[in-house]
Amino acid sequence: MVTFILNGREVKAEEGTTILQVAEANNIYIPTLCNHKALEPAGLCRLCTVELFDGRRKRFVTSCNYPVWTGMEVNTDSEEVIRHRKMLIELLLARCPNNDYVNQLAEQFEVDAPRFKLDDDDCILCGLCVRVCERIGANAIDFSGRGTEMEVATPFETLAEACVACGACDFICPTGHIKLSEITDKEIRPILSEYNAGLTGRKPVYVPYAQAVPNIPAIDRSKCAHFLTGGCKICADFCPTGAIDHSQVDEEVEIEVGAIVLATGFRPFDPTQYDDYGYAKHPNVVTSVEFERILSSSGPWHGHLVRPSDEKEPKKIAWLQCVGSRDINHCDNGYCSGVCCMYAVKEAMIAKEHAKDGLDTAIFYMDMRTFGKEFEQYYNRAQEDGVRFVRSRIHSVDPVPATDNLVLGYVNEEGEAVSEEFDMVVLSVGMEAPPGVIELA
Amino acid sequence: MAVTQKALPLTEEPLDSEFLDGVLQKNEYDTENVIMILQDITARYNYLPEVTLTYVARKLNIPISHIFSVATFYKAFSLTPRGKYIINVCTGTACHVRGAEKIKETIEGRLHIHEGETTEDLMFTLDTVRCLGCCALGPVITVNEKSHGGLDRKKTASLIEQYEKDS
Amino acid sequence: MSRLENQKALEGCRKKLQKQRDPKRPVISLCAGSGCGAYGTDEVKDALEKEISQNGLKGKVEVKVTGCHGFCEKGPIMVIHPEGTFYSQVKAEDVPEIVDETFVKKELVERLLYKDPVSKQRVAKEADVPFYSHQYRLIFGNNGLIDPTNIDDYIAMDGYSALAAALFNMSPEEIIDTIKKSGLRGRGGGGFPTGVKWDSCRKAHEEPKYVMCNADEGDPGAYMDRSLLEGNPHSVLEGMIIGAYAIGSNEGFIYVRNEYPLAVKNIDIAIKQAEDYGLLGKNILGSGFDFKIKISRGGGAFVCGESSALMRSLAGKVGRPRAKYIHTVEKGYRDLPSTLNNVETWANVPLIINKGADFYSSIGTEKSKGTKIFSLVGKVKNTGLVEVPMGTSLRTIIYDIGGGILKNKKFKAVQTGGPSGGCVPEQLLDLPVDFEKLTQAGAMMGSGGMIVMDQDNCMVDVARYFLEFLQEESCGQCVPCREGITRLFEILTNICAGEGKDGDIELLEELANTVHNLSLCALGGTAANPVLTTLLYFKDEYLDHIYDKKCRAGVCKGLFYYEIDEEKCNGCHVCFRKCPQEAVSGEKKEPHTIDQEKCIHCTICYESCKFDAIVIK
Repeated sequence: MVTFILNGREVKAEEGTTILQVAEANNIYIPTLCNHKALEPAGLCRLCTVELFDGRRKRFVTSCNYPVWTGMEVNTDSEEVIRHRKMLIELLLARCPNNDYVNQLAEQFEVDAPRFKLDDDDCILCGLCVRVCERIGANAIDFSGRGTEMEVATPFETLAEACVACGACDFICPTGHIKLSEITDKEIRPILSEYNAGLTGRKPVYVPYAQAVPNIPAIDRSKCAHFLTGGCKICADFCPTGAIDHSQVDEEVEIEVGAIVLATGFRPFDPTQYDDYGYAKHPNVVTSVEFERILSSSGPWHGHLVRPSDEKEPKKIAWLQCVGSRDINHCDNGYCSGVCCMYAVKEAMIAKEHAKDGLDTAIFYMDMRTFGKEFEQYYNRAQEDGVRFVRSRIHSVDPVPATDNLVLGYVNEEGEAVSEEFDMVVLSVGMEAPPGVIELA
Repeated sequence: MAVTQKALPLTEEPLDSEFLDGVLQKNEYDTENVIMILQDITARYNYLPEVTLTYVARKLNIPISHIFSVATFYKAFSLTPRGKYIINVCTGTACHVRGAEKIKETIEGRLHIHEGETTEDLMFTLDTVRCLGCCALGPVITVNEKSHGGLDRKKTASLIEQYEKDS
Repeated sequence: MSRLENQKALEGCRKKLQKQRDPKRPVISLCAGSGCGAYGTDEVKDALEKEISQNGLKGKVEVKVTGCHGFCEKGPIMVIHPEGTFYSQVKAEDVPEIVDETFVKKELVERLLYKDPVSKQRVAKEADVPFYSHQYRLIFGNNGLIDPTNIDDYIAMDGYSALAAALFNMSPEEIIDTIKKSGLRGRGGGGFPTGVKWDSCRKAHEEPKYVMCNADEGDPGAYMDRSLLEGNPHSVLEGMIIGAYAIGSNEGFIYVRNEYPLAVKNIDIAIKQAEDYGLLGKNILGSGFDFKIKISRGGGAFVCGESSALMRSLAGKVGRPRAKYIHTVEKGYRDLPSTLNNVETWANVPLIINKGADFYSSIGTEKSKGTKIFSLVGKVKNTGLVEVPMGTSLRTIIYDIGGGILKNKKFKAVQTGGPSGGCVPEQLLDLPVDFEKLTQAGAMMGSGGMIVMDQDNCMVDVARYFLEFLQEESCGQCVPCREGITRLFEILTNICAGEGKDGDIELLEELANTVHNLSLCALGGTAANPVLTTLLYFKDEYLDHIYDKKCRAGVCKGLFYYEIDEEKCNGCHVCFRKCPQEAVSGEKKEPHTIDQEKCIHCTICYESCKFDAIVIK
């Protein structure tokens, strides 16, 4: 334990902690620019400078990286400290007079117009981007040059091959100087949440779904920066209980059993190959599984009926049946999946319930297969409640210009060509055997 | 951020892996010897061609960004080709007070280049160096490894003329 | 020569070498230091060898090419032993006469002897030349006597006896104690007590430990480290080995500027020879102590003279310093305990071990012991390397040794300590030079550069010059240093350009204060010194520039003009002929005038006038 004087008051702290950490624990504010909890303190911006009396003389140290020791006296906002900090801000403001962030700082520190010649930069060279990139393990950017020539640069000032497009530099940059697009042409690819059928993203460290068993976060090795680059491990620093162990490996466990029951499950059909339905192109064409998540209170919009493109409530929704079932044209699935008719009816009914201002629903089918006890009654009730059932195959789904709506083209039972506009289209996808199961069989 | 497509006028230098392997071998493939490896490459090319740096980074298994950072930090390195004769005008204090600025001006006027530049025919590069440690001879310049001291405008002009003739 | 297996073998070897050397045999010692080399030592050496063999003197007269003798102004320098005859500014065409007079006629070549500028008398012996006679050359003296590429020369001059004494007669603690008692302080700049540094490193818990020699002599205007490494590399090696033994380190580094090729070459040869003799490497002199040294060539960055930057650079990284709240003696190179001393400090160690702490501490002042090598350069007559006891006054150094100001102009200031140092004015010329006194004067010992300035140097321009240097050499990572120095430089540039304004001086002082107090490392911490000392001692020059738009030294273009003093001008026509702008007019033997419209203030007329008739207005 270390005991020292902080702003005239005696405080105690663990050996090895910094002045800044102790100050924070004692609710004393010290401004910082280049400090970030995920990174080692570097002491570059000097804004966190405090006054230290070591028993013999007074000097100025950076609180972010100065370890505390017994007997020292620290003053975090003496007159002199404040004057020096103001000068630092004035220097930065002269460098970046047009940057919002630096102007906010100037306001905070009551610094008026700088007394120096004005430049027009927007980088304060805090180095957060460089340090986080190194921490992530990509090492795509670094400082180049020295003195006044120093800047953040990619090798040879061209797009960096080493960049993993994690976006940490862009995220951490306080002034908006760093733009990922200037570092790499790789795109940021969000990690899609399996639980929400890809409608939302998730992190590499995640709990698969609410109340999962066991309800403990897991690290996705295929996405975690540490397993990609060998660096990062920021999560381990943050975890207060030290529970994260990146060295854990999968274990193979042998158990003896009498018999094995295979529950193979199924996989929903991928409707991308139905070009005419435009699933890959239009955000408001969703699969029935995705729509299920939209309706769910644990889903991306907490059960509010909204469509993905603008998160507004749709007024008209169409269900297209037999997508990936009873079809040997687009796929090889001649069979009836047996569930799609009923879930489409159910989704239409619940959607109507969730809609605030009324909803027009239409199910386009070949023939409704309502096998199962009392299923036909449910179908009849749906008809009574206003769900429209249209016997027809949709031949085209086209976007309506200037809206996110879709226009469906079909021929009705009377043989007339009809086109009808909807806010949203749900594809009632069929079921397929996953490839592993075929192998197993 | 200062990233622009090929902002530096880079030249295409064929990769001489045999030479580079030799340099790496001499420096024991030690990442701590990066600065000396770059010096050895500079000794051959007068500058650091991009291909050599990417090769070294790959062989030593260190990020190219670190090598780029080193290559731009230290004054001894250049990423653009330099002349056959590298003229370093010492602007150390002793030379400064004895008129190094005038020597520099004379050379600039004669070769029509400024500090840090290279003549178009790649014969001369003009640079300044902070103290060559021959302070008693000031003002001093070095042309490649040869130092010339006790210069004035006239002596400088005839010295450069001599090198022009030799080239 | 075979490996020396033990202390006895070393002593035996030394005796043999000393016996082989006839003290009466003539030795021509020729300086090949960087200064003399540039003046043409090589040509003289070739001529000398040719002449000797033509006169049948081969084997009878030895030619020894040595390191720097110090008196660089008068190079190339030749000293003929055993008489100690001192010839300066020797050219190849002088050689036949020298050989003929010295060895055939046994006479002196009068015209090559040093001529005392005061008494106008010729001085025959090196020791009697005033430049040398006022010095006390404990560390630097052997430079002129030994061939740096031959370890035998060093051993014959008692070399490596301190190492043997340390290894066999002293414990590491005793060595550290001796160094502490001697009062030796780091010669690189800060003046930290060397023994204390060693002690902390020895007591640091982690292993292995490293020992380093800082030969990244970056201070412009200082070159004693270069000359020591070039001229007497073994003294540095010996010091390092002793230090390593005391600290408990088995691995050392010499970080040397790549701009010093001869130093790199000579230290490389010295290491190989020492290894062959068993003075370096495994089981040194049979003591069981191992120590190896690697040379690391720097890439050219002033900031790498700072210890933590140097250690990063040694590891092949960019040399940016880190906060040293945990000292490098505990966490240095590779985050392990490291001791870094500069070349001159290491070279002091064998002397202290050999002569004892009492001898060493008897030299110098109360808190600064021993001698210090200064490079006396700038506007002084005898430029060169000067070794004097700590506490010698600036006046002695500049006037007695340096011979006064060039062209007998008026002394203005002496700049010490490199870019981190300051300018000491005339009223402090009697200041005894030591660590404390220089710091009190606002300057710094630094590595020992002394740049003399005269009336023609503008002090605002000098401050601007140093800030420009520091702006280029700042590593750029911390705000006060990078941005602050840039702005200091900007303000000074404006002042020098005649655009200074009211409030500039106050802003300079305020900013300098922040740069000094808040910078991460010593580069920034001392960067304001050139500004603050010139403001302290030469404020009137600043006021001239800002308010009267005048530069009295005639340096800042646009702030002065030349005029011809009609009374002094005798119409010699020299300026008329030399003016590149044809701005001077006048008949011969009549006073001339300068056409201010045409004059570009190039200084040519001013420098060429022998009658001081051209004056700065």
